[in-house]
Amino acid sequence: MSPLWLLAIFLFLIVLNTPIAIALGFAALIGYWSLFGFDALLNMAISLYQGARSFPLIAIPLFVFAGAIMNTSGISQRLVAFVSALVGFVRGGLAMVNIGTSLFFAEISGSAVADVAALGSILMPAMKKRGYPTNFTAAITSSSASLAIIIPPSIPMILYGAMTDTSIVKLFVAGVIPGLIGASLMFALAYGFAVRYNFPVEETFNLRHLWRTFKDAAWALLVPVIILGGIFGGIFTATEAAGLAVAVALFIGLFVYRELNLRMLLNAMTDGVIQTAVVMLLVAVSAFLGLYLTQTRVPQQLTVWMLSLSENPLIILAMLNVLFLAVGMFLHGAAAIVLVVPIVMPIANAIGLDPVQFGIIVTLNIAIGQQTPPVASVLMTACSIAKADVWDVSKVNVWFIGVLFIVLTLVTYVPYVTLVLVESFYG
Amino acid sequence: MSFLSAARGVLERVLITISIVLMTILAVIVISAVIVRSAGSSFTWYDEVASVVLAWITYYGAALAALRRAHLGFPNIVGLMPTPIRLLALAISEGVVIFFFALAAWFGYQAIGLLSGDTLISLPWVKVEFVLSVIPIGAVLFILAELTTIPDRVREARFGAPPAEAIIVAEEDKS
Repeated sequence: MSPLWLLAIFLFLIVLNTPIAIALGFAALIGYWSLFGFDALLNMAISLYQGARSFPLIAIPLFVFAGAIMNTSGISQRLVAFVSALVGFVRGGLAMVNIGTSLFFAEISGSAVADVAALGSILMPAMKKRGYPTNFTAAITSSSASLAIIIPPSIPMILYGAMTDTSIVKLFVAGVIPGLIGASLMFALAYGFAVRYNFPVEETFNLRHLWRTFKDAAWALLVPVIILGGIFGGIFTATEAAGLAVAVALFIGLFVYRELNLRMLLNAMTDGVIQTAVVMLLVAVSAFLGLYLTQTRVPQQLTVWMLSLSENPLIILAMLNVLFLAVGMFLHGAAAIVLVVPIVMPIANAIGLDPVQFGIIVTLNIAIGQQTPPVASVLMTACSIAKADVWDVSKVNVWFIGVLFIVLTLVTYVPYVTLVLVESFYG
Repeated sequence: MSFLSAARGVLERVLITISIVLMTILAVIVISAVIVRSAGSSFTWYDEVASVVLAWITYYGAALAALRRAHLGFPNIVGLMPTPIRLLALAISEGVVIFFFALAAWFGYQAIGLLSGDTLISLPWVKVEFVLSVIPIGAVLFILAELTTIPDRVREARFGAPPAEAIIVAEEDKS
């Protein structure tokens, strides 16, 4: 059966609201069955098992679990208080606090949806109470959380690394500079809004208050230091850092902040397993799809076709970005990675693109996809918490998506931005 | 309480218990491995066993996610359709899910027979058929999770599902 027919089956099932992983698996099943016959489906069972036991992906459940523990341990409130003392004196201070806290939190959980769910419920009501427009509040919360997925640790980067056999640690390092550029631009944009609409100043800068909130949040701030310091210093692998993040989060929740009880812990474990399984089922099914794609040489055919349109790497990169942006509008990030990356990787290789740079390009496209309806998982979560209309929020959010586009363009066409730190750390 | 909702309750408790045990095992294995490595030693079985636990988390967790309706989907288009089309879409979708996992369970069972006698490389006393059992068992649990939630799905197809964001807001309000 032709790959185009399978694509049609997949899209038809998606429209019917079949779980994406099953739609993908069913299309692969039909394709594999038509190629090799019914008995060959024994390979489906084996590849479903092998696909789910990828060692680098062990970091995912552990980071999700650590994030869930920190989320229920009082970390969010302490981070907000500290960042508020740090930047709350600027006009539009709460908007700055929103961006700043998002970046800190992202260094623990690695998931934008977790980021919005944890911080949005604290910050958005506070911003609305202080007179910030609801649409602006939801837009900045949503976009800053998505920007945060290019700052390590990042679940999309772990997925990409495992799918393409690229060093996850190098991907983490490569995300730092684009993340900081994006954060600076978001701060500037939020300040522009604050001046134009006369948003309030939160508190005067007070060194003693800053020190007090810092001491209170110090344990929480220690987690990213351990994770990033350990990974960048070559002391831990990404998986080991995830394990340590769990240990430290447990220690802080049980013995330092003492806000974690057994019920919360068990709920955090269950949430961690569910979130992991949702992503991992996609990965496992994509391993089976990979068997079909290898036989039919779809990635190679697509490479030849794209190179026949243009051999200019700049144009190919633009086409890849358009493809990812289109897919990101209709698929969740994890699904977009497991579906598209194995197919387009030969194209990236053919134009000599560094796999680390391509990983950051893919991650940024995923970040934009989280903000562009109709799927827009992060935007939807932010809108639901803010009780705002998605389309009204999108009218403001388009400015913040613009920031993500600028960073994407930089990362795509200026490799130095992503690779300079990687080269200085790892030669 | 109907038979289906009672069965769903039992299934959920079993899957939650398995999930908690597996997550605990994974965390303990990885944290112990870090400690042992920092002491200059290593577990020879670490990579292989941790990977197996991840596979188990995937399939037992996937069944729990099916029970909680947490799998990623795209409800926007079907939600706009009239009720008869929504019911038809649900029937096709459920049929596909059950067919897929029924085949996974059958061929998973076949694979166990084929690989019986093989063992893990690092732990020769652990049979591959034991670790591979997660495919047929996980597939059957997934089907059971689908079947026990069918009444909810039919009700939503008839009367329209609350959008995901409304559920989140309701949960926020509760907390």
